[in-house]
Amino acid sequence: MRSVGVVVILAVAIALSISMLIARDAVTAKINTVRASTGNTISVSPAGFGGGGFGGGGTPLTNAQITGLLKIANVTAVQAQLAAQLTSTKTNLVSPITAGSLGNRFGGGFAGGGTFGGGSSGGTFVIPVRVIGTNAPGNALVGGANGGGTEKLTAGTTFSATSTANVALIGTDMATKNKLKVGSTFTAWGTTITVVGIYDAGSTFANATVLMPLATVQKLAAETNQITGATVYVNNIGNVAGAAAAITKDLGTAADVTSTQATVETQLAPLNSVKDISTYTLIGAVIGAAIILLLSMLMIVRERRREIGVLKALGATNQSVVSQFIAESTTFTIMGAIVGFIGGVLISSPITSALVSASGGSSPGGFVRRGTGFGGGGSGFTPPTGTGGGGLGFRGFRGLSNTLGNLHTSVGISTLVFALLAAIVIAALGSTVASATITRIRPAEVLRSE
Amino acid sequence: MLNVENLNKTFKTDGGEVHAVRDVSFHAADGEVVAIIGASGSGKSTLLSLLGLLDAPDEGSIDMNGTQLAHLDAAGRTKYRSRQVGFVFQAFNLIPNLSAKENVKLALEFAEWPKDERESRAEEMLAMVGLGPDKASRRPNKLSGGEQQRVAIARAFAAQPQLILADEPTGSLDRATGQKIVELLRNAANTQKTTVLVVTHDEKIAKQADRRLEIEDGVLTEIA
Repeated sequence: MRSVGVVVILAVAIALSISMLIARDAVTAKINTVRASTGNTISVSPAGFGGGGFGGGGTPLTNAQITGLLKIANVTAVQAQLAAQLTSTKTNLVSPITAGSLGNRFGGGFAGGGTFGGGSSGGTFVIPVRVIGTNAPGNALVGGANGGGTEKLTAGTTFSATSTANVALIGTDMATKNKLKVGSTFTAWGTTITVVGIYDAGSTFANATVLMPLATVQKLAAETNQITGATVYVNNIGNVAGAAAAITKDLGTAADVTSTQATVETQLAPLNSVKDISTYTLIGAVIGAAIILLLSMLMIVRERRREIGVLKALGATNQSVVSQFIAESTTFTIMGAIVGFIGGVLISSPITSALVSASGGSSPGGFVRRGTGFGGGGSGFTPPTGTGGGGLGFRGFRGLSNTLGNLHTSVGISTLVFALLAAIVIAALGSTVASATITRIRPAEVLRSE
Repeated sequence: MLNVENLNKTFKTDGGEVHAVRDVSFHAADGEVVAIIGASGSGKSTLLSLLGLLDAPDEGSIDMNGTQLAHLDAAGRTKYRSRQVGFVFQAFNLIPNLSAKENVKLALEFAEWPKDERESRAEEMLAMVGLGPDKASRRPNKLSGGEQQRVAIARAFAAQPQLILADEPTGSLDRATGQKIVELLRNAANTQKTTVLVVTHDEKIAKQADRRLEIEDGVLTEIA
């Protein structure tokens, strides 16, 4: 009965350590995934510019300034865009978004200063048509002020990054409102533009946008060489801060430079906390198991002191008696490890969820999932630009509750190896003091006390 | 033949030194049963520990058939005990989680008796003390006190030791059972030509020995 008790207690301790190891691995994998997928971008916009073509002021950046960012260490790619807002005097398109009370309240803000301010017609505000010239179709609307929805090409195709054609991708709402389909045309800046594709970005704001080649918009808007925003990709999240500093130094006061790193790290803090908790609990559980076994073996040795004395009197060597007790403690440990491993695997998922939940890891925040590609000539979805925008349309930060809370626990070979090593360590530590006690038992003293 | 010369053993206690065994000298022939009588605390258990090499004497010699044993190192004492000494205790001291036969085989294992002979030897020894196969497979707690002591005797004689040390072997048994145990010891000593030293309080038991020695305050004297 006592042996069963020892095995059960060991199994509980080992189950706890196994579940903590699995939780730790799951959280570590999630942290690495999030860092690898979301934290390596830097947003660059003209100083004072609100982004998305709405609000703020400032002077556009230039092609040369943006292209120059590619020379900065660890920068792997730069996506640029030129945002514009077209009123009815410049396009025959009508925005599918009604002004509503918010539009009328903030309508003046859209007039904004700078070259790209849209127009308020005075009196009742009419939402202008938002046009984004981009060299990265497929990523243009992801995150920040651009709408942030997940984009899917629902009809047609896309245009290339270097296209100069008078073509456009339009959102589904824009297409419906203006009765456009692939192959239809509309006018902008007095030029006929052909619709080559229709997309669904998952939000009303994003679906009311027109995407055109960057060079085309620069030419038609007579804003050659001008850029209103860029997303800079860095090879590793660890290099983001350095790259952001280099960009700030390079562009000086001409640009506002922000990265998602700080945001991501803030959002990952609960997971890091869970990782720490699971690490300490893991170590504590292993040490606890070793202490349990040590005390149990000491108790067993004390209770069987006479038996040990008799064995020695009969001619058993210290080595053989110690071996017998080590075998006993190893048996306890192996049985505890087997039961504990199974138990640990079974409880690891709920424990991980509980830890993440308790640490606040499921609270909403600013992280956007990686998607599955834009089709056609697009380069697929890329991580969000994050903090680029202000004013209307700041609706891209969603999905963290799903992402951080959605941890997948799994049992790999490393977990099995850990269980084996932990069992060895526990058995070794648990047997050491008992073995030392056994060697000190003198048969003459034991038998004299009869 | 056992020859003991000038054996001395002193213990240090909180109350000072205790001279447990003083200049003890005696001899015992092969197959001879020698009773040692003494009151509690007279030094008889210490003497048995010295003769069984469970403890080392401060002075003196123990000669067993020409081999000097008194100053063997720990490993040498362990080896000697496993092959040349058998113990019979008042409390039997069988290993509780082993069967009667396994207890006997344990002594053969320590003595490095050939593996393929241990089973038959254990059965032979148990049969010698009157325990059949049905008892041989039982654990000690399923045997009576007398049966447990028989197992202990079978274990003590199993490896054909030269010396058997029996410490109050009848102390936990009723008189009739105790008498049978003494007869068993005598028969085994005669059969195997083993020297048997029996420590006892019981005069009637002691009188069945070939010779009687008395120990008092660590000093051993022969009773005529």
